Amino acid sequence: MKIVIAYKWAANPQDADVAADGRIDWSRAKSGFGEYDAVAAEVARRLVDVAGGEVIGLSVGGPEIASGLARKGALSRGLDRLVIVADPSLDHADPVTTARVLAAAVEQIGDVDLVLTGDASVDVAGKIVPALLAARLGWPTLADCGQPTVTGAALTVDRATAGGRQQITVQLPAVLSTAPDAVVPRVPGMKDILAAAKRPVQELAVADLAIAPATLPVSAAVSRPQLPSRRRHMIDATDPAAAARSLVAELTAAGTL
Amino acid sequence: MSSPIWMITTSPAIGGALGLVEGDVEVTVLVVGDQATVDALTEAGVTALVHVPTSDTVPPEALAAQVGQLVAEASPSVVVAPARGPERALLAAAATALDAPVLPAVTSLRVDEYTVSLVRGLYGGLVAATETYSGPIAVLVDGGVAPAPTGTAVPVRQVAPSPAGLTIVSTSASQQASVDLGSATRVVAVGRGLKAREDVELIEKLAAAAGAQVGCSRPLAEGQDWFAKDQYVGISGQHIAPDLYLAIGISGQLQHMAGVRGATTIVAINADEKAPVFTECDYGLVGDLYDIVPALTAALTEVG
Repeated sequence: MKIVIAYKWAANPQDADVAADGRIDWSRAKSGFGEYDAVAAEVARRLVDVAGGEVIGLSVGGPEIASGLARKGALSRGLDRLVIVADPSLDHADPVTTARVLAAAVEQIGDVDLVLTGDASVDVAGKIVPALLAARLGWPTLADCGQPTVTGAALTVDRATAGGRQQITVQLPAVLSTAPDAVVPRVPGMKDILAAAKRPVQELAVADLAIAPATLPVSAAVSRPQLPSRRRHMIDATDPAAAARSLVAELTAAGTL
Repeated sequence: MSSPIWMITTSPAIGGALGLVEGDVEVTVLVVGDQATVDALTEAGVTALVHVPTSDTVPPEALAAQVGQLVAEASPSVVVAPARGPERALLAAAATALDAPVLPAVTSLRVDEYTVSLVRGLYGGLVAATETYSGPIAVLVDGGVAPAPTGTAVPVRQVAPSPAGLTIVSTSASQQASVDLGSATRVVAVGRGLKAREDVELIEKLAAAAGAQVGCSRPLAEGQDWFAKDQYVGISGQHIAPDLYLAIGISGQLQHMAGVRGATTIVAINADEKAPVFTECDYGLVGDLYDIVPALTAALTEVG
């Protein structure tokens, strides 16, 4: 089975700073291999351990994703090789562009049986790229998947729904995104990190993939989010018991309790 | 005559999605689900309903390609879907068929004659973007709960399903009561002010007395196993909108407060009077949480 892990090397917005004008400063935020991507890599490893085959890491982004740190960070997660599309035009690319480039790369890799992704990227977390990739390839797709099992030419996937769980037969090729708790990913050891340095990395040029340009808004502005204005009523807490009673009384009077 | 907005759903929970559309715009709802969902939405005040039925063997995602075709034929200005797993697969198919950009986390939407204007959160709500588009777009929104009926039933167009690629082989109902902060009316959340794991009990007692669910800020969800990952409230965790939110020992950085923006009432308890949480709360108590939390638990228990 030929499995592609589509992963994102990105920084957590939690570590970014936002200026008063809404400009984001990412310099304090360090990029990394996504926590959820590690789950997808582990799911793939377990599938290949049973069915045989290879696990190929695929990532699309700015030049940073081709750095030595980013390559090793991905390959130490049990990937056999990497395919990377790194270009300044793909830094913080929109979901449709990302999916278009991923689809072109999957076609270039050829004979792919399964694309696996994590639950969400750490930065955008729109959870839409896997579905867009599937739509572009014309493959079936499911989200919130547990560890799949191989049944002949298909996979059986257990997935969570609003009311419980479903077992679904998935015709291959397909795109699946894994639930955060699908499996517990192994932590890469020194051996994995050393082995990672020796595994092959192929770089594809975005210019060779003939990607249609993204649809841009006719106007756009960013700002710090508007938080609703609050009452800011301070209750003196020198006497905790009195303060607690006073808070409960206020919340009850306001109809909150 | 086609509606300028098509909304795709697999469940009746689209009240919030309908609510964020500004003005009096025609909305066609495409139900990819069971008859009960259609019945729940016929009187929801929408313009028309289109129904592609799922079944015990056909999940919504198996109908994605067909949904793409249906939406492309109608050629609306905006395709809206609540941000849920199956809806994302259907919206992606529609967006691809329309060659439209997909915009997650949209919080308001206005359709004019030639343009569509919207506000959306970027990077989990770190910043807000205000944008105008001239072509068709696809947007993900918070679905909310089922809309209240308005009294007039609208026509339903039935479409025969043509599933592909996915077949349900068995279904089991959930017996595990998971923490669902998203729908909780009261949430007690704790942050770095909590010093030891055994002190979580203190917070759980307060939550029990307040009839609340327990959440936490990022420092307690990462690197420590004090809380489950789905209890983490903030920009890259849960975005919640309870009636009452008690922030205990949480400093209140933008990244945390963006996750509780929708809360009706926020109470902050923190030892540091300069903590940013006190500028974003309705009621603030400066003091040691180890004194105030037990006192508050007692006061709530007295009231019953």
